[in-house]
Amino acid sequence: MLKEKIKIVNKLGLHARAAAKLSHLANTFNSNIFLLYNGDRVNAKSLLGILTLAASVGNEITVETEGDDEARALQEINDLFSRKFDEEN
Amino acid sequence: MIKGLIVTHGKLGEVLIEVAESILERKSGIESFNMGWNEDGSLIVKKIESYLNRNKENSVIIFTDMFGGSPTNLSLRFNSPQVEILTGINLPGILKFLTYKEKNIEFFELIKLVKNGSKEGINIISEYLGERKYVKRENQNSK
Repeated sequence: MLKEKIKIVNKLGLHARAAAKLSHLANTFNSNIFLLYNGDRVNAKSLLGILTLAASVGNEITVETEGDDEARALQEINDLFSRKFDEEN
Repeated sequence: MIKGLIVTHGKLGEVLIEVAESILERKSGIESFNMGWNEDGSLIVKKIESYLNRNKENSVIIFTDMFGGSPTNLSLRFNSPQVEILTGINLPGILKFLTYKEKNIEFFELIKLVKNGSKEGINIISEYLGERKYVKRENQNSK
């Protein structure tokens, strides 16, 4: 299992469209993927699950990936956060 | 295949679909029928009938806005093993439907998932955050 803390850098945090992109990406992997934030742990493949975190900009979220493609999953999720979910220049 | 149809008062259904599609950035495949304020209901019944005739090969969830309202009452007659009516639909419910409908989930199981998704989307924030709300607020204020 891989685990990494990722900082939320997009202004709106894990809002609806960002959460939709993240869950869509997570669903392309075989690995189980979880997000940990403020004591909550949710399935990253669930859009509504991600939204319950109400994770905002400036905070760190821990991403856990476990499975045959765990490294690629973690890398691509990290990229999506760094790219600010492609919603800011 | 499992299909979704929204039947509501006014343009509620249309707007729900529009917002869900903007969030997911893809077409939903959901159709919506509006019930006009001065309609007697016969038009909407015909529309639903024709929709279901076009979708005989599919299972259909008819989402309505409110239990007891006309869109729901007029949809009830179509209830069958292939056609279920889910009342009180909201944005979390529609998103749940759209993100789970292609996951090979049995028809009634999917309906229950969507129902729970809708219900879980309704929260009193103070109760939901409980003790953590002050921590969260401090975090937000510190930025």
